[in-house]
Amino acid sequence: MNIRNIIKYWRVTLTVAEMTVRHQLNDSFIVFAVLIQPMLIAILALFMLKEKGTDYAMFVVVGSGLTGLWSSLLFVSGNSINVERWSGTLETLVGVPTPFEVIVFGKNLASVAQSLLSMVVSYALAALFFGYSLHVDQPLMFIASVLLTVFAFVSFGLIIAPIFVMYRGVQQWQNALEFPVYILAGFLFPIALLPFWTVPISYVLPPYWAAIALHGTTTGAAPLEETFFAWGLMLVFSIVDLFIASRLFKFMLYKVRVDATLDTE
Amino acid sequence: MNAIEVNHLKRVYRAAIGVFKRSIKEVVAVDDISFSVEKGELFGLLGPNGAGKTTTVKMLATLLIPTAGNISIMGFDVVKQANEVRKRIGFIFGGERGLYWRLSAEDNLRYFASLYGADPEVSKKRIPYLLEMVGLKGRGNERVEGYSRGMKQRLHVARTLLHDPEVLFLDEPTIGLDPVGAREFRQVILDLQTEKKTILLTTHYMFEADALCDRIAVIDKGCTVALDTPGGLKKHVSDLSIVEMETFGAPEEVLNGIRALPFVDAVSVEDQDQRQLLKVQTERGAEAVPDLMAALDGQRVGRVIVREPTLEDAYVRLVGGKV
Repeated sequence: MNIRNIIKYWRVTLTVAEMTVRHQLNDSFIVFAVLIQPMLIAILALFMLKEKGTDYAMFVVVGSGLTGLWSSLLFVSGNSINVERWSGTLETLVGVPTPFEVIVFGKNLASVAQSLLSMVVSYALAALFFGYSLHVDQPLMFIASVLLTVFAFVSFGLIIAPIFVMYRGVQQWQNALEFPVYILAGFLFPIALLPFWTVPISYVLPPYWAAIALHGTTTGAAPLEETFFAWGLMLVFSIVDLFIASRLFKFMLYKVRVDATLDTE
Repeated sequence: MNAIEVNHLKRVYRAAIGVFKRSIKEVVAVDDISFSVEKGELFGLLGPNGAGKTTTVKMLATLLIPTAGNISIMGFDVVKQANEVRKRIGFIFGGERGLYWRLSAEDNLRYFASLYGADPEVSKKRIPYLLEMVGLKGRGNERVEGYSRGMKQRLHVARTLLHDPEVLFLDEPTIGLDPVGAREFRQVILDLQTEKKTILLTTHYMFEADALCDRIAVIDKGCTVALDTPGGLKKHVSDLSIVEMETFGAPEEVLNGIRALPFVDAVSVEDQDQRQLLKVQTERGAEAVPDLMAALDGQRVGRVIVREPTLEDAYVRLVGGKV
């Protein structure tokens, strides 16, 4: 792919992201997944950890924000292709010259980026209603961690979406995948508290490394090497995810055109 | 070079049936269809429900992969060079789906212009032009969910013209439109033809095909039954007259009795509320009326007229009375 195409597709990605946000503004499920549910989780955790101090409050803010990111990835990005099929727009999208994975990337970018709002909401909640004076210990590294987290989540979403389209049996487990990842990725408490045998599962989850980077840079408690290592792994996972996604999309687009499942009618 | 070349096209749908004992059921939607369309031609594809029209259009639009045969659009193969084909085609499927209802018409067009790789500066000028062309000037900033069915169809036309495609596929575009909306839509199609677009149109409305199409392919059971100009197709029934008889609740066995008469070529039945309109094709013309009345066996009969055949009658004869 040459520079001209990269610029062209980046422009398309931004337009898709803009239109996705506009389209989702009135979707009450998105409001629930991105704002209400993380807020409820934050309230619950803040009450439970009330006596633990400011560092724990910041952990909860970031952790509940991550729950919003994961829920958005699972339900919005995961269903991003299926939703187009249900609404009858999938045929139109597949019939344009822009590669379909570029379109889904733009849609996922919008979903994940807007779910960052859940972190802002949790922060405001902790500061206004629980009286915590919160600050981010390493702001620049935190921003870099957020950007890498978005990239890692969007890339991970590109694998989930075609799998949900092709294998409806997997999609039926969608709800069951929500809370286990909250736990296994250490969003709200360290995975050291979990049984030893769960650790390898956490290590292969990009959200776990996102949590390490975000928690580490907000509290400043983690050594720099640990944050850099988490960044590196998020990048590696993203590149591997994008490679797998490109294969999955090619296979899915061929399969749906053979099986005639682009439309539900 | 023709704009569209279709050679021995075949498409089989496979579906798994059964819960415990799974088996694969095959349905042949398109069996053997061949035709070509010249550049700038308005070509019609007619056939009864289930004849394979929409399946054919979806294969032409790169949305389905043929089981056998091949299609080229402007010299590009629809399977091997799908992306080159997509740059050169636009398509509309009948109905209201395929647009983002919560976005405005302008946002829908800006979105799809981007997906077709249009320059944003060019789109800024082209979008108002297209909205005006399809009669939506001044309504572009309204959400699509508030549009009537006809307005949505016209927005589909604007969407499909964003990248100025050379070839257009219109699959039953006037279905569900009110008479005024359908007439306006037909004018849009004629305007497109004057712009030298190659258009493939499928429709159920014979007068529409007669008025718009340069040539028509009639397909039935997935095969091409006839291919000619509207005038040429009418010659298939030039030896016949049509006896139209209005009946009221005539049972199927009586209708079958008429179909079995030796001088009857084909019979189509249109149900209109409480009444039926029988269209009987016969070489005997008015002389057949007394025998037909006798065959109706005491059924209540209203208006009876004898007239010259139309394209619809040619179509009925070609597809064996299925309308």
